[in-house]
Amino acid sequence: MDITRRALIKAAAASSAIAAAATLFPGVSFSGWQEMEGASGAIQWRKTPCRFCGTGCGLLVGVSGARAVAVKGDPNCSVNKGLCCVKGYHSVQALYGRDRLTQARIRQPDGTMKEVPVSEALDLIAEKMQATIKSHGKDAVAMYGSGQWTIPDGYAASKLFKGCIGTNNVEANARLCMASAVTGFMTSFGIDEPMGCYEDMDHADVFVTWGNNMAEMHPVLFSRMLANRNRKKHVKIIDFATRSTRTSLAADKSILFRPQTDLAVANAICYEIIRNNWVNWDFVNNHCSLHKGKTNIGYGTEDHFAFTDKAEDVSFEEYTKFLQDYTPEEVEKISGVAAMDIKYLAALYGDPDKKVTSFWCMGMNQHTRGTWINNLVYNIHLLTGKISSPGNSPFSLTGQPSACGTVREVGTLTHALPHGVVMNEEDRRMAAEIWQVPVDNIDPKPTYHTVEMFRALDRGDIRFIWIQVTNPMVTMPNLIRYRNGARKEDRFVVVSDVYPTPTTDVADVILPSAMWIEQEGMYGNSERRTQHFEQILEPPGEAMCDTWQIIEVARRLGFEKQFPWSRESYIEDIWNEYIRFHDDPKHRMAPYALLKKRSGVQWPFVDGRETRWRFNPIYDPAAKQEGFDFYGKPDHRAWIWVRPYEPAAESPDSDYPFWLNTGRVLEHWHTGSMTRRVPILHGAVPSAYVELNPEDAAAMGVVSGGEVKITSRRGSIVMTAVINGRGNPPRGMVFVPFFDESYLINEVTLDAFCPISKQPDYKKCAVKVERV
Amino acid sequence: MEKSAKNPRTRWGPAVAGAGVVMLLLAALAGASPAQEDFDQHIATLFNRYDTTSLSYREGGSSERTLEEFYSRRQYPGSPPFIPHPAIEVFGEKLACLSCHGRGGWSQVLQRFAPVTPHPEQQSCRQCHVSVNSRDLFVENGWQSVPAPILGRAQLPGGPPPVPHSLEMRGDCYACHVGTGAVTPIRVEHPSRGMCRQCHVPAGDGRPFTR
Repeated sequence: MDITRRALIKAAAASSAIAAAATLFPGVSFSGWQEMEGASGAIQWRKTPCRFCGTGCGLLVGVSGARAVAVKGDPNCSVNKGLCCVKGYHSVQALYGRDRLTQARIRQPDGTMKEVPVSEALDLIAEKMQATIKSHGKDAVAMYGSGQWTIPDGYAASKLFKGCIGTNNVEANARLCMASAVTGFMTSFGIDEPMGCYEDMDHADVFVTWGNNMAEMHPVLFSRMLANRNRKKHVKIIDFATRSTRTSLAADKSILFRPQTDLAVANAICYEIIRNNWVNWDFVNNHCSLHKGKTNIGYGTEDHFAFTDKAEDVSFEEYTKFLQDYTPEEVEKISGVAAMDIKYLAALYGDPDKKVTSFWCMGMNQHTRGTWINNLVYNIHLLTGKISSPGNSPFSLTGQPSACGTVREVGTLTHALPHGVVMNEEDRRMAAEIWQVPVDNIDPKPTYHTVEMFRALDRGDIRFIWIQVTNPMVTMPNLIRYRNGARKEDRFVVVSDVYPTPTTDVADVILPSAMWIEQEGMYGNSERRTQHFEQILEPPGEAMCDTWQIIEVARRLGFEKQFPWSRESYIEDIWNEYIRFHDDPKHRMAPYALLKKRSGVQWPFVDGRETRWRFNPIYDPAAKQEGFDFYGKPDHRAWIWVRPYEPAAESPDSDYPFWLNTGRVLEHWHTGSMTRRVPILHGAVPSAYVELNPEDAAAMGVVSGGEVKITSRRGSIVMTAVINGRGNPPRGMVFVPFFDESYLINEVTLDAFCPISKQPDYKKCAVKVERV
Repeated sequence: MEKSAKNPRTRWGPAVAGAGVVMLLLAALAGASPAQEDFDQHIATLFNRYDTTSLSYREGGSSERTLEEFYSRRQYPGSPPFIPHPAIEVFGEKLACLSCHGRGGWSQVLQRFAPVTPHPEQQSCRQCHVSVNSRDLFVENGWQSVPAPILGRAQLPGGPPPVPHSLEMRGDCYACHVGTGAVTPIRVEHPSRGMCRQCHVPAGDGRPFTR
């Protein structure tokens, strides 16, 4: 009965599409392009990594005269081998939005912004920093950057703030997207970033995507995975997610779980692996050790929340005993995943003849137990020994072009240094020596992680903040508090960006930035690949490279000695200084000349060779032990962690009965400040919407295109409903993309975070949904 | 190759021409460097493809598809065109798109001939091709690009024109230059000739030979 009804609805939808099609034809036109005057049609092709996601596709940008005019995939780049996605193909159009910021602006006493010469704005910034440090101390000034910072951008920021000024108030938006991945690597392996590489996709027999809609978020990698399945007919893709997406549709099997219960399912998979004796005992006995940490660790929703984990050794017997609570049958009750499906997943991981690659990104990282779920998926790969060899790969993907390169490798987080952490004296000494500053300059105590940094701005502990290449007034969870905080009297906000955004709206000074290939720089992608790009175009007006902005301010603050570089060679000079931090076989970087030549080089780069699989002595010169060498940990073992299931910070109840899940769409990247200015991308997804489950919608009497109001304990928003769109949430969940500044869904989300990584959970809070 | 040149059997010619697409695909699959591949490798797939293109399709044509329309769907010469018709999200998107764009032919729904994709092996169509749901702009954009290639740039009167576009993702000549789905001004007059690259070679950058 039901099926017949659905079939009828589908047929009706199809016929209305046909009617619409007939009216659209003929002569659909959508701008095309304006021809350059006097252009011959001849194009010069220049290499660069893509501006957008962490995949790190190699592009060839076509240049004619002084303008970028076309894009094609770089066939010499092993990441994408000539293929791009729609954002990459149209990326260069994002350079030419009519409202590019080309002049500096300073807020006037009457609230308006006035254009001024950049040098005047830089003077004011330096003045304000000095005055703030004098009146409120060095920890009252802060820098908030991004995984879209180039490596030199982040390096200059860290050197100025941590080395010269002496405050650890340096954070980056990668805290919002990668922090749990980092703490996952650090707790399980003692060293950051994936052991595998994209080549795993050509070798694996089974792929499991953990809360990871790769079809939209990493489309080029997704295509590579599909190509592997097409070639080898036995290859299976299993999508394990909370919402049905394009990835679920393309997968061989889609398994949906209730939000947060991935923790329980991962433990149940381990239970099954042990129960069936699929454990790779040689691997576990020789290369793993077992540990447990604290439990009931909280959610960080209150100011000044602090947490430090403590590891205790456990035996395999204790671990097995712990897992007795996670039988597939018990876990079915909390997760909604059929015991049979859990056993199926365990059998895929447990089959010694199958190579398995797990992919994840924001689903596991934006999670109040983000570190734990990273640990638990590593547990599965460690129990079965499926790691650090071609095709066997627990693979944490990144969302930004240089979240790895800049934030994780340069260490632009409050606790980090380019090598090691501020808490470690040896690491401080190394930094002080390379930076030519007194070692006492570097404060051994971390200050604020991102959420706490914006809370400190609200409280008044921070009075000056400089924001580069990111848009926190769209992306901060519980946004209303942080926007009000940024707007308070006596808060001085500097924003460096390429377009006006809700963040430049709260700025006291706006600096116009050079964008992407208007400057020289390097990014670092998900697979430890450093990617250099030359300056290909001139920035418009007075727009200036972010690195150079920092250098200019540093010199005004009296740090000429630490920032001596010339405009001609500063990127090369910074690179040569920076790689002194990584001069050992575990992390060695490629020389500048080679980066310029190749379409990306993977580190560790040792004796002229890239390292594709770390910890495996066949591929990794730093690995000395036989079999595998997890050299990140003092015991040279990978750590299996006992981590329980704990519920989300806020779960649906009778007042707020729905889960709110947020994320991205293929066409838009992050807050859309670039992609919305690309006509074809804006045309494809012109505004945000809320996806409803069809049965929930029917129960509320909401039709596709109707308006609904979404309300949480923090805020509410009215937006258009989409039913049976490209994604389909299960009953009791709604999904909203966050790219649209006209629909600020983060006014509704909760600023709870993982106590270990301090990364907020954008995927889970409780809302009510009403028809308007 | 020599044999095929003397005896231009249909299945030899275009196979070579189209090998670029397959090259790209197989390079991606095998993990080899595409730079090492060339058009003379991996042509079996295209043999099949051309073999199974019917004579009636090859000889067919329509007059409705103009170059102006073709370029109006692109942002620069060679950009992936948008989807100019409604397309609902359905299970098995690849199959859904390829049911018309794999082989071409008459679409009763849209009342016109469907163009053929030159890279049917790519399965995730909407990775690059997106719908149009609004024609408004968020902000005006000052985008400009170079003019589309001029047609008929033969070096000698009556000579074969060179290939004026990049062959990345577009190595299959038949897809765009033959049959009812082809844009009229670029539809080839001798679709059964076969070995396109016997006469049509990639245009260079215009710089003369120097020692």
